[in-house]
Amino acid sequence: MAKSLWCILTRFLPRLLVMVLLFTGAQGLLVAPGAAQGIATGVTMETGPENTLGNRSDAEIWHDLRLGADGIVTPPSGPDAGTVINANGTWWSNMRRADGPLVRYGGYGLAGVVGILLLFFLIRGRIGYGEDSGKQILRFRLSQRVVHWTVAAIFILMASTGLILLFGRAYVVPFAGKTVYSVLATASMQAHNLFGPVFAVFLLAMLFLFIRGNIPKPHDIWWILKGGGFFGGHASAGKYNFGEKLWFWTAILAGITLTVTGFLMLFPDTFAPEVVKTLQAQGLSQIPPTRDTIHYSELAHAIAALIFIGYALGHIYLGTIGTKGSLKGMVDGKVDENWARAHHDLWLDLQQKKQQETEK
Amino acid sequence: MTLIQLLEGPLWKGSAAIFVVFGIWRLAVILFTGRTRAKAKPAGSPFVGSVRTILGHFLPGAAIRGHGKTWFVTLAGYSFHIGLFALLLFAAPHVTFIRDKILGVGWAPLPRWGFIVAAEFAFAGLLALWVRRFVDPVVRLISRPDDHIAAGLTFVVMLTGCMALGQQSVFLRGLHLGLVEIWLVYFPFSSLMHTFTWPLSRGLTGAMAGRRGTRM
Ligand code: HEM
Repeated sequence: MAKSLWCILTRFLPRLLVMVLLFTGAQGLLVAPGAAQGIATGVTMETGPENTLGNRSDAEIWHDLRLGADGIVTPPSGPDAGTVINANGTWWSNMRRADGPLVRYGGYGLAGVVGILLLFFLIRGRIGYGEDSGKQILRFRLSQRVVHWTVAAIFILMASTGLILLFGRAYVVPFAGKTVYSVLATASMQAHNLFGPVFAVFLLAMLFLFIRGNIPKPHDIWWILKGGGFFGGHASAGKYNFGEKLWFWTAILAGITLTVTGFLMLFPDTFAPEVVKTLQAQGLSQIPPTRDTIHYSELAHAIAALIFIGYALGHIYLGTIGTKGSLKGMVDGKVDENWARAHHDLWLDLQQKKQQETEK
Repeated sequence: MTLIQLLEGPLWKGSAAIFVVFGIWRLAVILFTGRTRAKAKPAGSPFVGSVRTILGHFLPGAAIRGHGKTWFVTLAGYSFHIGLFALLLFAAPHVTFIRDKILGVGWAPLPRWGFIVAAEFAFAGLLALWVRRFVDPVVRLISRPDDHIAAGLTFVVMLTGCMALGQQSVFLRGLHLGLVEIWLVYFPFSSLMHTFTWPLSRGLTGAMAGRRGTRM
């Protein structure tokens, strides 16, 4: 009894006092200008209690806070229990700053993709396939079309809100100001968090519905060697050409990365430490199960998203203005046979053979 | 008067009044304009037929038995409607709004995660069903502009609601409320009225079938 009373007096009460001071906005008392000299502002030396703050300077107090020194109030639970300031996060804040490398090189990368697509359009123009044959062939089933466009719609929402969050401080604040950006940022964050899991579910459906035909085959090598026919000449392809297969697998792998890291960030205090602890137990991770997990997750999330969005720009270009007749296939499900002959001749041959066999 | 006061005051009351008055008016027109009486001798009970159809059509029988394309519509339809219902009536900010502005009484809201999951189901269902209107040639042909406006308005109302979830911005709350008001004004004059008319249409087709001694 006496022991626990002593414990309350010596350990709990001082902690509680500092916590109250810290969180009631009375930090001024703790770290007021005079505090470094041990003089509490507002209390005269003649009347006030002597040496309220001890003999510790600002620098020492912050140093202790950073290292989570014993006796200093810290978050009581969660992955960062024992740490008020995680000094490990410095690399991440440098990386993530509005003028940091992530924003700079991410921006260059996306601008580069847009530039290349523009240049390609100027040089090559719209890729056609000659006259319509008047004969249509089924290319995408209804379920595939519904899933494709639902994924596409959610992707646009996820990408635009994600880009606002990544580039906003660098590119929105200077033009629109902080107030406008604060509204954009909270709206984007809420929508991004809510739609993330929905995107993951539809992407999973996409994996099942589109995997057939997207497994690389030996004949893809010829397509690669002929530059996909993008610079002239004909490059044979099956149901999907190698560029499309690469797009499919990029979408799936980036999607998995985005989902896993997204969930780690959504549940930083519960899911994230558990995952990291499990990985550590298997010897698969060196990252401590603290907020550091979130920093690495955010970096991986941003890189996967930039790759995904970059490739998507190319995909959207080729699916709309870049290639005549492709969009129709994904909307109506059917394509002209001459389109199929120009872009997916091996697939067309196979379909026609199948049809002849069923007619026999 | 600030814009938000306008949205929370006169515009809210005006749109709610249009919704109630014209909604009731449309229901009354359907119920009281009368129909030509069937003269043939009834071969079965219209009442049993109508009850059977109203309730029986909730069962996803055809979807479970794998008939045609109905599994998709059934799944997406349930996902959207149940999600929206939960979201509309049990999201904490909605419960507060209903208590303060409409009924004077509230009820226990869903926990935050609960209504976020409900919203996710609602969005998934709505998007998939709306996309289908564009990519299924038959459904595209029978879709009128009203169907797209109704789906689109519902979508933006839901989207701005989810964007306002941080509860940090009066602008976002106002945007959501303003769109809700447009939605309420549009509601009685559009296919959104099926929220209230579905038992009537199901009931009538069921009753006609019942009278003829068949089933819907
Ligand atoms: C608004 C944006 C988009 C447009 C306009 C678009 C357009 C198209 C078109 C026209 C096709 C048919 C190509 C062909 O017949 O070979 C297609 C196929 C495909 N799209 Fe999209 N798409 C968009 C967004 C997306 C997104 C965001 C994803 C994935 C996350 C995606 C994944 C696919 C896949 C997997 C295929 C099948 C071909 C393959 O496996 O590579 N699309 N798209």
